Amino acid sequence: MILYQYFKTCLLGLIRTPSYSLVTILVPSVIFVIVGVTFSDSRQEANFALGSFCVFSSLGVAFFQFGVGIANDRESPWEQYARVLPVHPLSRLLATILASLVFVSVSICILIVVAFLTTDIGMPTNSWLKMLFGVFVGVFPLAAMGLTIGYWCSPKGALPVANLLYIILAFLGGIFFHPSLMPEFMNSISIFTPVRHIVNLTQAGISGEPWTTEPFLILLAYTILFLILATMGYRRDEAIKYR
Amino acid sequence: MANSTGMNAISKESKEVNAVQLCDVVKSFGPTKALRGLNLELKQGEIHALLGPNGAGKTTAIGVMTGIRKSNSGSVSILGGYPWEKSIRLQVGLTPQESGFPDNLRVSEILDLVKSHFPKPMTDDELFARFPLEKLKNKQTGGLSGGQKRLLAVALSFIGNPNLVFLDEPTTGLDVESRQNIWRAILDYRGSGGTVVLTTHYLEEAEALASRIVVINEGKKLTDGSLEQIRDLVGNSRVSYRGDLPTMLDGATHIKQQDDRVIIITNDSDLVIRSMVRNDLEFQDLQIRPANLEEAFFTLIDNSRQK
Repeated sequence: MILYQYFKTCLLGLIRTPSYSLVTILVPSVIFVIVGVTFSDSRQEANFALGSFCVFSSLGVAFFQFGVGIANDRESPWEQYARVLPVHPLSRLLATILASLVFVSVSICILIVVAFLTTDIGMPTNSWLKMLFGVFVGVFPLAAMGLTIGYWCSPKGALPVANLLYIILAFLGGIFFHPSLMPEFMNSISIFTPVRHIVNLTQAGISGEPWTTEPFLILLAYTILFLILATMGYRRDEAIKYR
Repeated sequence: MANSTGMNAISKESKEVNAVQLCDVVKSFGPTKALRGLNLELKQGEIHALLGPNGAGKTTAIGVMTGIRKSNSGSVSILGGYPWEKSIRLQVGLTPQESGFPDNLRVSEILDLVKSHFPKPMTDDELFARFPLEKLKNKQTGGLSGGQKRLLAVALSFIGNPNLVFLDEPTTGLDVESRQNIWRAILDYRGSGGTVVLTTHYLEEAEALASRIVVINEGKKLTDGSLEQIRDLVGNSRVSYRGDLPTMLDGATHIKQQDDRVIIITNDSDLVIRSMVRNDLEFQDLQIRPANLEEAFFTLIDNSRQK
């Protein structure tokens, strides 16, 4: 009940700010039409591009809803009030996560429709499921990174920081063009970004290559690392604000 | 009003627990000491007003009581528990800052959200009977006036049917009608057995609402008591005139010049008038009336400064 109320108000708040919600939801589709389509000469290339842009959707929601949203909320008087209501902070966080998942899902559905209209995508059901599962797994490290931005950046700093990381990670992670097209030095940096491993997962899912445990472990490690950083940021913030 | 049932599900024994018990509470912000050993014992079933000048530590005291702030030392007990315990928070009502509502949520959505935290919240009918919010329920909070936001904020502190409500300056900056609405709701709540701790700038407000008064200055309790006791402590009459400003006068507890008038607070206005005459003071337009709390209260603080 309480979770539902927080989920509902969170979602309503976002939907009623169309400048935020429309941009976050539509940017991946728009950039897919501009960039993704040009790298989609064959059906398989189009499939790969779609998988990568799905990751781009979750990256955007994680950084802008989580990162920037949390940084802004931290300073709001309403947040200070909610803090002394009888509710566990993790329940509220869970509600925010569920609301973001709704956003990611909507953004990805639109993206898939756009990809159908503009390219020649198509794959077996099994590949669809594995691709989407890869995207889903990727939500966790990305959300943890978003939380880290949210708890460490000031409200004014969060937006530019999120923007910068969003672009850099999208490029280095191989979202805008296939990692095999990267120059060698870029590729050697790329493998250190969590985004690259998520992209690899979706691509292995699409091509039907068997998944190894390695990318899952790497993404788990990133998730834990950023959760620790986010928790440190949260504690630091609490210590300053509510001492 | 039909809503008094369930307003206070406090058992007899828990009634004996103090609503608020602060023992030697110290709270500093860097070099600034906001509370310097504050001791408070606030009983249940009363409306307590915390009074004091700006910077006296009233808001910090409320922050410590509600668990928003942690004290550096001393002990804090609310209804027999720690303010940050969930079981205690379920019994306590608080107001958000009225500037702080999420702009694009409707009043009804905010009410539902806050209600969902409590096991036995007020129904909409109960709430709207006390707070005239029904016409506003479909409005987004961004479109409310300052007074309407404040009304909503105060309503939220009562919505969970709490045993204890904290109100930090509930009517500052409000028009007369909004203020009356809030006063009525507070008195109503007390009528059903609830306890209120409020801070206020308006001494008129303390006089209208409070059964107990605590005067805080420089992070410490200066004095406490009933309204009458506080008045008696400092002088219950106010003598004023245009004319000479005496430095000392028999019977006067406090003397000051305000605009073109001399104002004297005293327990014995007869004695003051007699000594004015004896000392050959020039005076015109003499007025004598009972002192209000504001005058009593500034006398107290001025006198403690002089000590």
